[in-house]
Amino acid sequence: MAIPNAALKQIPDSYKYGWHDPEMVPLNIMKKGLSAEVVEDISKFKGEPEWMTKLRLKAYRHFESRPTPTWGADLTPIDFQDIYYYAAPTNKAVQSWDDVPDYIRRTYDKLGIPEAEKKYLAGVGGQYDSEVVYHNIRSELEEQGVLFLGTDQALKEHPELFREYYGTVIPANDNKLAALNTAVWSGGSFIYVPKGVHVDLPLQAYFRINTESVGQFERTLIIADEGSSVHYVEGCTAPTYTSASLHSAVVEIIVKKGARVRYTTIQNWSHNVYNLVTKRAVAHEDAVMEWVDGNLGSRVTMKYPSIYLLGERAHGEVLSIAFAGDGQHQDAGGKIIHAAPNTTSLITSKSISKGTGRTSYRGLVKVYPGCEHSKSTVRCDALILSDEARSDTYPYMEIDEEDVTIGHEATVSKVGSEQLFYLMSRGLSEAEASAMIVNGFIEPIVKELPMEYAVEMNRLIQLQMEGAVG
Amino acid sequence: MTVRTDSAAPAPAASALDAAAIAAISDGLDEPQWLRELRAAWWQRAEATPWPTGQEEEWRRTSLDGLPRDARLVTQAATVRCALDTDLADAGVVFSDLRDAVRTHPELVERHLGRRETRPVHARSWAQAHAAWTAGTFLYVPRGVVVDRTLVARLQVTEPGAAWFPLTLVVADEGSDVSLLEEVTSPDGAPSWYGGVVDLVAAPSSRVRYAGLQRLGDGAWNIGAKRVEVGQDAEVTTLDAQVGSSVTKVGLDVRMSGKGGTSRLLGLLAAGGTQHIDLDSVQDLIASHTTSDLLYLSALYDEARAAFYGVTRVEREAKGTSSYQECRNLLLSPKAGAEPIPVLEIETNDILRCGHGATAGAIDPTQRFYAQSRGLSEDEAERMIVRGFFEQVVSQVRSETIRERVLTALAPRIGAEEEEAA
Repeated sequence: MAIPNAALKQIPDSYKYGWHDPEMVPLNIMKKGLSAEVVEDISKFKGEPEWMTKLRLKAYRHFESRPTPTWGADLTPIDFQDIYYYAAPTNKAVQSWDDVPDYIRRTYDKLGIPEAEKKYLAGVGGQYDSEVVYHNIRSELEEQGVLFLGTDQALKEHPELFREYYGTVIPANDNKLAALNTAVWSGGSFIYVPKGVHVDLPLQAYFRINTESVGQFERTLIIADEGSSVHYVEGCTAPTYTSASLHSAVVEIIVKKGARVRYTTIQNWSHNVYNLVTKRAVAHEDAVMEWVDGNLGSRVTMKYPSIYLLGERAHGEVLSIAFAGDGQHQDAGGKIIHAAPNTTSLITSKSISKGTGRTSYRGLVKVYPGCEHSKSTVRCDALILSDEARSDTYPYMEIDEEDVTIGHEATVSKVGSEQLFYLMSRGLSEAEASAMIVNGFIEPIVKELPMEYAVEMNRLIQLQMEGAVG
Repeated sequence: MTVRTDSAAPAPAASALDAAAIAAISDGLDEPQWLRELRAAWWQRAEATPWPTGQEEEWRRTSLDGLPRDARLVTQAATVRCALDTDLADAGVVFSDLRDAVRTHPELVERHLGRRETRPVHARSWAQAHAAWTAGTFLYVPRGVVVDRTLVARLQVTEPGAAWFPLTLVVADEGSDVSLLEEVTSPDGAPSWYGGVVDLVAAPSSRVRYAGLQRLGDGAWNIGAKRVEVGQDAEVTTLDAQVGSSVTKVGLDVRMSGKGGTSRLLGLLAAGGTQHIDLDSVQDLIASHTTSDLLYLSALYDEARAAFYGVTRVEREAKGTSSYQECRNLLLSPKAGAEPIPVLEIETNDILRCGHGATAGAIDPTQRFYAQSRGLSEDEAERMIVRGFFEQVVSQVRSETIRERVLTALAPRIGAEEEEAA
């Protein structure tokens, strides 16, 4: 990708995940750039069935034929031929941290993952560059038939289940970046929760880009069968390099009748990553789907988790937090499609821009004819912390049914000088006071996060606020 | 207005407009050289500005495919009626058909006509009207003059299937105060093309209330633009009442360029049948301490469809601004549809107040039940509730003349107080 960029030089040293492990040389790395040959090589290297190879090639042709979107953030610096599309640090995923190669384990130790697994989590997956390096799930869940494994592994071990759902929510000819993912995907998580099974603790995956100019294209597929429930959490980090990296994931979720899925993302890529992600869920009758989406890192993020409410009384929620510091553009939001009667939805967005950062809320609420008694509320609040920061709101609404209640509200504000004055008169520094106000602002969303993420989020905000009050 | 007789050359189709046809308009109206040159310059710009393709964000919801481009240009018949009392004329107020103003107050018109541009997405309509106008309203209120009654301009074309591009120019000089209602009508029937534009300038400390009442015929394509410039400490209220037309696509461009200026932008829209009403707006807060609030309400019947794409932009240098944008849609039929899209683009943190709200939905069943339990029929109850909904806008209109004309125009859809009482 186009390398020198003034914005990258401004990356604060406070990005605590910005190290990279110099010993970590990918075991297998394909040549730079993209072609049908590279797509075929990835598929061949992974020993995939023919249908997957064909689907990858079909998606590649779609990717080739589509222009790069121009309606959102500036994507012109991306040179798709200057990216490594596949880099594998190891040959196989293991189920014990002791078996993870030392140099990778060091990374995860620094990130605090093994410890978190012991304390809070029902299962953990870790992906390093293109491949899943670790996957583990508590045995009692395994006994109940819950599947939690790397997506490549799922294709090998559960081919029929996999094929039944793969690409049904986001087809190969979806948007350009989703097509790119379908062409070169590697890794990601596959989750299947059988009928009536409730996974009480969150399942977690941790994504890490470690090699310069590597693209990460993980593919996640979650199926919650009737009456089941699951909470999945993903975190993402990358070293700070001078050249940009690309992360273009696809996440497909199927929430069957009466099931419940929550998908939480804390995206904290380093500030040289282009994060262009397609996330979409379908919710059937009486199902509940919730996206909790926190975007703190990356240079550019374009991500609008969407929910298709296909069955009566299905409910969808998107909770979105975006924080954009110097040189960052968080273009995030959510989409809800009401395609059945009595469906309800809620989008809550909180965004904060600081320095020269820019946050954009972009969303859609669509109600098809015949979806009577549907209700949707969209609430967007933005906080602008400096003179040069920018905040935009682009909420689209398409309402084709009379008997509905659809509303959207948004506000934009700054940190009030009276609020600051009050807190500082109580002995807080300006940075502490601002951080406290910002934490209060995002509190409605943070309280929905698992404990360790909520703590981390507050700390990250604190870090971002230090020495930078506008 | 004087009626001019003219060479027998047939009026050109709108699609056949060219430099010669523009010059012929000038010939027909016996225009001075400066105006000929001005029209020619705007025509050049029109030719250099393609029509929107549908890819532009503001044009994604309205296609110009059905625009009757072959409708013939109205060169003579469009009438503009403006009545001005002599005391106001004596005070220096000029209020007349633009064609007459060119002859009676050439310097004044020359100073103000065709001096401004609107946003690029509506630049073609803007340029076309500036080149090809054959009717229009001109209002000038001199410094410090207060016009204590509502001025009314009526624009009318009587032949069906016509194309016309009227130009309205309103200039309120420093400290003046004026209310203007402009009502435009055309006959039902054959597809016609109305491409009117409004250029309103409120000089520092002036107060202007402008209402546009659109009652075009059921075949009309209303494709136009309005530009409002609000000077320092000026106060402008606009009311956009959209009643007629088959397809309406109008862009409102509000520039808060003077420190301390205020604008209140009101809209009422009652549409039925297969009417398609698509409005877009920009409230551009350019100067510090400006205030701009927008409230558009629509009542949508049958298979009518309303789109509203409104942008509030707060520029980096604009400190301490207040703005709110609100678009509410009442859906009164299962086949009606609404697309309200309120956009914010905020480039500074120093804001007093900024937000927007948009809603779409049916009448609250409890309201309906309450009204019917008081003995109103279902239809009466509905009309009463819609009138109550519109009251949020109507109550902000100070001029009784404007309120009355607008409510009369809306009555076929929403009924009237007296009727229900009778």
